[in-house]
Amino acid sequence: MIDLDAAAIYRQEAGELLDSLEGSLLDLGQTPADRTLVDQAFRALHTIKGSGAMFGFDQVAAFTHDFETAFDLVRRGTVPVTQDLVSLALAAKDHIRSLIETPDEADATVGRTILANLQILVARPGSIAEPPVEAAIAPDAGSSETAGAGWRMTIAFAPEVLRNGTDPLALLDELRGLGPCTVVALTDSVPDLGALEPQDLHLQWSVTLRGDCPREAIDDVFMFVLDDMKLDLTPLGVEPSGETVAAAAPELVIAESTPLPVASTPATPPEPQKARTADKVEPPRRADDKVSTSVRVQAERLDELMDRVGELVIAQARLSQLAHTRNDGGIQAIAEEIERLASGLRDTTMGIRMVPIGSLFARFRRLIHDLSRDLGKPVEFVTSGEDTELDKTMIERLADPLVHLIRNAIDHGIENPERRAKAGKPPVGRIELLAQHVGAQVMVTVRDDGGGLDTTRIRAKAEEQGLIVPGTTLSDAEVHQFLFHPGFSTAQTVSALSGRGVGMDVVKRTIEALRGSIDVSTELGHGSAMSLRLPLTLAIIEGLLIRVGDSRYIVPLSMIEECVELPADQARGRNFLNIRGGLVPFLRLRDLFDAPGEPDAHQKIIITSVGDARVGLVADQIIGSHQTVIKSLSKLQSDATMFSGATILGDGSAALILDVAQLVAIGQLKAETETMTRAA
Amino acid sequence: MTDVQANDGSMQVLMIGLGDEIFAVEASIVREIIDPVPVTRVAGAKPFLPAVMNVRGNVIPLADLRIRFGMPCTADGGDTRIVVIELTINDDPVVVGIIADKVYEVTELSKSSAQPTPRVGLRWKPEYIRFIAKWNDEFIIVPDMERILN
Repeated sequence: MIDLDAAAIYRQEAGELLDSLEGSLLDLGQTPADRTLVDQAFRALHTIKGSGAMFGFDQVAAFTHDFETAFDLVRRGTVPVTQDLVSLALAAKDHIRSLIETPDEADATVGRTILANLQILVARPGSIAEPPVEAAIAPDAGSSETAGAGWRMTIAFAPEVLRNGTDPLALLDELRGLGPCTVVALTDSVPDLGALEPQDLHLQWSVTLRGDCPREAIDDVFMFVLDDMKLDLTPLGVEPSGETVAAAAPELVIAESTPLPVASTPATPPEPQKARTADKVEPPRRADDKVSTSVRVQAERLDELMDRVGELVIAQARLSQLAHTRNDGGIQAIAEEIERLASGLRDTTMGIRMVPIGSLFARFRRLIHDLSRDLGKPVEFVTSGEDTELDKTMIERLADPLVHLIRNAIDHGIENPERRAKAGKPPVGRIELLAQHVGAQVMVTVRDDGGGLDTTRIRAKAEEQGLIVPGTTLSDAEVHQFLFHPGFSTAQTVSALSGRGVGMDVVKRTIEALRGSIDVSTELGHGSAMSLRLPLTLAIIEGLLIRVGDSRYIVPLSMIEECVELPADQARGRNFLNIRGGLVPFLRLRDLFDAPGEPDAHQKIIITSVGDARVGLVADQIIGSHQTVIKSLSKLQSDATMFSGATILGDGSAALILDVAQLVAIGQLKAETETMTRAA
Repeated sequence: MTDVQANDGSMQVLMIGLGDEIFAVEASIVREIIDPVPVTRVAGAKPFLPAVMNVRGNVIPLADLRIRFGMPCTADGGDTRIVVIELTINDDPVVVGIIADKVYEVTELSKSSAQPTPRVGLRWKPEYIRFIAKWNDEFIIVPDMERILN
């Protein structure tokens, strides 16, 4: 069943590399002088090219190669990093992605245009006589790229590389192909015979490579082991640091083949040299170094595992129930042991499915970059809480709602620079995307420092659309809820991005389908914040098991505030209660479910909170709390909207999970029709 | 789906009894046949999909075709079984349990004996019927499960 399709693996890896490339490029847009970012981007490109060629993605390899060649000038520092360049590089990245994912549909002319534009971009600064600002660091970079005389390097592999199938000798042979080499084995770290682990590699090598060869050629040799090794490279002739020669022009470095050590730092102030030494101390590592011990697993397998574990938990619950009724200590002990194992396994499995939300946040940087450019509103994007973990399905489904919220924030929230200037705000707008744990929930907030929501205007619009009767007293929060009404938009002009009044209702629906809620907070003139509260996982919830008639149901515990007994005198008649002075309406679940038989003598009310409102649900009996493994209902029964899903109880029968928000809505509708029929 | 004659001629079917009628369900969509299990009523669902049940750790709907066909519902008897079938509806796989008053046998129906569905003389809507085939001198209805359930 293991998918060993090399092309598929390449696609997946390249996808991740492209994501990291995008991240580096966007960072680069903000800090154009950051050399490590250029290097990161370059490494990603290089790997995409290398493995692309290996797996037969020739188009990808060809395009990436051309792009890399041009981008190399940036890396050498001959060409400064500009916003145009970053935008173009992003376009190129998109093109590479389409070449990989849909090679047949990718348009070659797009690629040619990008390359042509890139040529123009990289050619222009060269024609300008005075070196651009970034060039200060540049020649230094040049020197670390090419050394006319050759290189001295120390090669230290991680001890376990042999077990991974790496053959150091073959790599050394390959290195020898680049030019005449002197290889010295370093035996310093070889332990005593007693402590020697025969499968570990303890040898290190010091290699002197003579001849004109670019650094990339060396990196290419070690391309597949770079993660598992330390490679210290020094251009030959650098050591005698005293003989710094001032050369006429940086171009000389490339042409000159005689040992010209720091010749490449001609018109450069001394600082960059320090920078380079610092560079050398740090071995060339990949940005994604830290993930070296992870295993790639297909998402479907995790889903399958979760299903199995869910079944196990259910079967275990049945076993425990059975063991309780038997007076057999042995069986009870085993049942308890299995209970412990099953719950441990369940927690671990759920943990595996948890993904840091940062992977999602990274996607929005591009969105904001593009939107801010298109709308002419400079925006600073700040994220925090990237390592907050959420179930992976949740993260996938959160993407669309967050896109909507962020678009709205930029399009409607952030004012244009002139307006901001008038309001005395900094010209650059600010969008914050925050994630944090709040109790057993995760709160994701999109906050902008724009104009804020105009509550009076929303109200006026709601009256205009006939959603409220003019003069009704409503709290601000209630007014803001109209934003989530289908077809509601206060935007005077409809832009390509937002203002059509579709979107916010979809956002709300999606979030509610995830059993979450949206809070709006705003301050006129100072911005607004949309907070999404979400459960940690979709797979399992804590529930309260109740009985209505002869059926059992689950109420999500997160929705419940308290449980009280229905006073006998209120068993009939008015459908509201006095809970510590507050008026709480209630719904009789027996009526909603058409339960047969007579209600129990002592009915219970479960007080739930739906948004700001509290609503009681009348049940016959409260059985107890229940770890609920959620099973979705078949789409054939999608018209049963009162239920959000089902679960399996200890005795093996199915119980339905109440969708409290829907129940309340249906209850209201029912009440309204009843009043109307009575009136009629 | 409707062009049944085009295939090589015979199909494996499971014979199930509903009321006094015998239907044939293609064996290829039948996943298993189980004894009746406790079911949970679903308020607000379609009348012919009145409940859900636990089948091997999955909650699946129970379909009562007798309601769909307007046949009288009898109480579960000793022969009552649930036939779990798997279909594709709007490109999504759907698993449903069907109540059968009795399950007879798996047999082969000759498609060449298939008769066009008459527009009259039937208790149910013609669109619910894929075709009618002859088996042991009896006319057997092969229902169109996708349409019936959707």
